[in-house]
Amino acid sequence: MKNICIMGTGYVGLVTGACLADLGNRVRCVDIDAEKIKILNDGKLPIYEPGLQELITNNVSRERLSFSEDISGSIRKSEVIFISVGTPSDGDGKVNLLYVEGAAEMIAQNLNDFKVIVNKSTVSVGTGKRLMEIIEKKSPSKAEFEVVSNPEFLREGSAINDFMHPDRIVIGTNSERAYGIITEIYGPLYLIETPFIKTSIETAELIKYASNAFLSVKISFINEIANICDKTGADVHVVARAMGLDGRISPKFLHAGPGFGGSCFPKDILGLVQLAKERGISPVLVEAAIKVNNAQRKVMVEKLKKLVPNLGGKTIAILGLAFKPNTDDVRESPALDIIKILLEEGCTVNAYDPVALDNAKKAIPEINCYDNMMDACEGADSVMIMTEWNELRQIDLIMLKEKLGAPNMVDCKNIYDPVKMKEEGFNYLSVGRPLLEAD
Amino acid sequence: MRITIIGTGYVGLITGVCFAEMGNQVICLDIDDDKVKKLNGGNIHIYEPGLNIIYSRNRKEGRLHFTSNLADAITKTDIVFLALPTPSKEDGSADISTVLAVSSSLAKLFSEGKKNGDFKYKIVVNKSTVPVGTSARIKEILEEFGLVSGEDFDVASNPEFLREGHAVEDFMRPDRIVIGVSSPKAEKILKEIYNPFVRSGNPIIVMDEKSAEMTKYASNSYLAARITFINEIANLCEQIGANVDHVRYGMGTDRRIGTKFLYPGMGFGGSCFPKDVRALSSMAEQSGYDFQMLNSILNVNRLQRTRILKKMTNYFGENLKDLRIAVWGLAFKANTNDVRESPSHYLIRELVSKGATIIAFDPEALETTKQELGTLIEYAEDQYAALERADALVIATEWNEFRRPDFKKMKKLMINPLIFDGRNLYEPNIISQYGFEYFSMGRPEMSRK
Repeated sequence: MKNICIMGTGYVGLVTGACLADLGNRVRCVDIDAEKIKILNDGKLPIYEPGLQELITNNVSRERLSFSEDISGSIRKSEVIFISVGTPSDGDGKVNLLYVEGAAEMIAQNLNDFKVIVNKSTVSVGTGKRLMEIIEKKSPSKAEFEVVSNPEFLREGSAINDFMHPDRIVIGTNSERAYGIITEIYGPLYLIETPFIKTSIETAELIKYASNAFLSVKISFINEIANICDKTGADVHVVARAMGLDGRISPKFLHAGPGFGGSCFPKDILGLVQLAKERGISPVLVEAAIKVNNAQRKVMVEKLKKLVPNLGGKTIAILGLAFKPNTDDVRESPALDIIKILLEEGCTVNAYDPVALDNAKKAIPEINCYDNMMDACEGADSVMIMTEWNELRQIDLIMLKEKLGAPNMVDCKNIYDPVKMKEEGFNYLSVGRPLLEAD
Repeated sequence: MRITIIGTGYVGLITGVCFAEMGNQVICLDIDDDKVKKLNGGNIHIYEPGLNIIYSRNRKEGRLHFTSNLADAITKTDIVFLALPTPSKEDGSADISTVLAVSSSLAKLFSEGKKNGDFKYKIVVNKSTVPVGTSARIKEILEEFGLVSGEDFDVASNPEFLREGHAVEDFMRPDRIVIGVSSPKAEKILKEIYNPFVRSGNPIIVMDEKSAEMTKYASNSYLAARITFINEIANLCEQIGANVDHVRYGMGTDRRIGTKFLYPGMGFGGSCFPKDVRALSSMAEQSGYDFQMLNSILNVNRLQRTRILKKMTNYFGENLKDLRIAVWGLAFKANTNDVRESPSHYLIRELVSKGATIIAFDPEALETTKQELGTLIEYAEDQYAALERADALVIATEWNEFRRPDFKKMKKLMINPLIFDGRNLYEPNIISQYGFEYFSMGRPEMSRK
C-alpha cells in the first residue's frame, strides 16, 4: 500500500486514481477546479467511460479513494504524486505547460519528505528536467525527491482494461530508488508479464509521441490505400487483412475511414511536429499523415455528393458523433468536421449519437439532435454513418429505408456489406470498397 | 501437378525449387540460354540460405528441369507461373512489357495447341509485381487468340512475399498466401498446390485479382513507411538526446504497432521497396490520386542515405582526401548478394567523390559489387584485412559476423579507433569501453571531441 496523490481529475487522472486504488493503494485525487471535486464527491462523473463509475463507487466505499480540494494536505500525506493535468495545444501545436508547471510549484511548496513525482501528462521532451528545476528552486524544505516520466497509453472507451492489462509500462527515470517505488506500485501488472521499459526521462517522453504519431501514420496510410482502391476497384478490406497477416505489419489499426480524431492523436502529432521543428528537423512523413487526415474528411463529402449531387437545401442524417465508440468525446471528431462542411454547403443536419449529443450540440449549435436514430433519418436525403457504435451495426434496414427520403447511405466506417446493401435496395458507398449502387 | 515457371530470376527460381520440393514436376524457363545452361549444370546465380541443398536434391531426383524452349515448357503443364521482371520506368511506373509479351507468346502456343487437339485447361498465375488491372489484361490477351476463359484457361494473381535472405523459409512457411482468382475451378487447383505450405494454420486468402495486386504494393509500401518513420524518430532522438532503441521497444510493444521492422538505418534499398513504392505512387497518380505519404517516404529515404556521410564530414571536414575508409557490408541487407539500390553503394560513391580511399568487405556481395564499382574501390579478403591502416570503419550491412568481432584486434589494425555504424550493431557504452569513438543512428554519440 502506498499513499498516492493524483493531481488533475480529467480523463487520465480519474482512470489512474481509480485503478491504483483498486490495486490496494490509498489514493487522493485533487483538482484546482472545486466544481469538479464537488461533482465527484456527489458520486457523479464528469466523463463517460465504461466501467469507471463502478470502480470509483466501489473504491470510495472501501475508503481507498477520495476526492479533495485540499491540494497541499494531499501532497503532504503522499509519497508518490502523479501529475495528470491538462496540456492543451497552443495555436501552433506547441504544448502548453502552464498547468504542469503550476502543479510542480504546489509540490515544491509542500515537499515535507522524500517524494516521487510521476508525470503522466503528455508533455514535450525536456519537461521532466524542467519539473526538477522548478521543484529544486522553489522547495523551502530542500527535502529529497525524484522525477519520473510515466506516459499513459489509455484508449478512451477501453481505458480501465488498458490500465489493468497494458501492452507495456514505460518508466523514465535516472533514479534506482524511484524506479523501485514505481515498479512496486505497478507490481500486480508485472505478475501478468507486462513488459516494463526502463529508460531515461527524455526517451520516455518521446515514446508517447512516437507511438501516437506512428499510429496516425498507419491510419493515414490505409486511408490512402482505400482512396486508390476506390479508383482501381480493389477492396481495401481484403487488402488490409492480407497486409496485416504479414508478421511485420500487424493487423490492428488498419481500418480505412474518415480519418483520425479525438483528444490525443491530432494534438500529439502536432506536438511532435513542433518538437522536431524546434530542433531543426522537418518530420516529413508525420506532416504528410496530417495532410492526408485533413483531406480525408473532404473525400467523405465527395462520396456523399456522388449520391446527392446538389447538397444545398438537402437534409443529411448523421449517425454517430463521437470520434470513436464508447466515448462522449467529440474533440476533433471527423463527424463534426464533416458536419461543418455540410452546413457550409447549405445542408440541414440531423444527428443521432447514444451519448455524445450534448457535447456535439455545444460545439455546433446548428445540429438538430435526436434521441432516436430513426427520427433523425426521417425524410433525409442520405444517411451517413460516422461512428461504429455497436447499435449502428445492425440497424433495421427495412425501417430505415422507409424513413429516409431517398435510400442513400455513405458508410464512413465500412460496417455494412456492400452486396447486402445493394440487395436491400440502398445506394451505398463506403471507403475503399468497390462501388455498388442500386439499379 | 505439373508446373511451369517462366523466368528464373530470384522469385522464379525459389518458386520452382520449392514446388519441386513438395513433389511436383517443375520446368523452369528462361530465354537466356547461358543461364539455363548454368542451371542445368548445377550453378545457381543467386545467394540464398538453404537454396542450394533443395536445388541439388530435386535435380538429383529429377523433379526440377530448366529449358529455354517455351513450347517444351508448357505443352504438358497444368499451371504456368509468370515470375518476370517489372523494372521501374523513368517516371517510376512499373514496366510490364515482358509480362505482356510472354502472355502473347503463351496465347499463341495455347491456341496452336488447341487447333492441333493437343491442349488441356491451364491456369496462368502471375507472380510478378504488377499494377492493378494487369491480370485483366493478361486475360484479354489470351481471349484475343480465341481462347475461352474458364474453359481453356483461367488467370490468377498470386503475389510473392519473399524476403531476400529468408526466401526459402518464407516460401515454405509463409505468413499468408494471397490468391486473387474469380474462377472456382482455378481456386480449387491453386489451393491444392499450396496446401502443403499451410499446415500450421497460416491462411490462404482468396480475393479478387485487383485486390491481390494491390495487396503486394500496399504491404511493401507500408513496410517502407515503418522504416521511414523510425528513421525520422532516430534523427529526432539524436537532436534531443533520447535513445531510439528504447523508443522503438516502447512503441513496438503496443500491439497495434508491433516490434518488428522498426530498425533505424541508412534508408531502405534493394530491388523491391524502392521500386514498389515508386510504382504505387505512379499508379495512384495515373488514377488521379496524389498519394502524399508515398512521396514523403521517398523524400525521407533519399535524405536518410546521406546521414552517415554527414556524420563523417562533421568529424573529418568536407575534404576526405588522404583518408582510408574501411566499409563492412555492401549488400543492401544481410544474407543476400543483392546490391541493387544498396545504401552502402550510394555512400561509397559519395565518399569516393570526396576523395576518400575505400577498402570494402562483404561476405557474399564482393562479386556483385565488383560488377558495379570495379576499380573505384579496393576489396579486402576478410573483415579484418579491410581495417589495416584505416582511419575509420563504416558498417553498412547488418551481417551476423560483424556483430561480435574481435574489438582488440580491430583497434590494433586501425590507425584511428573510429566507427560509423549505420546499422546500430553495437552497444554505445560497451564499444566505448574498448576505446572506440562510435557514431550510430539515433543513439548517444561516443566521441572524444
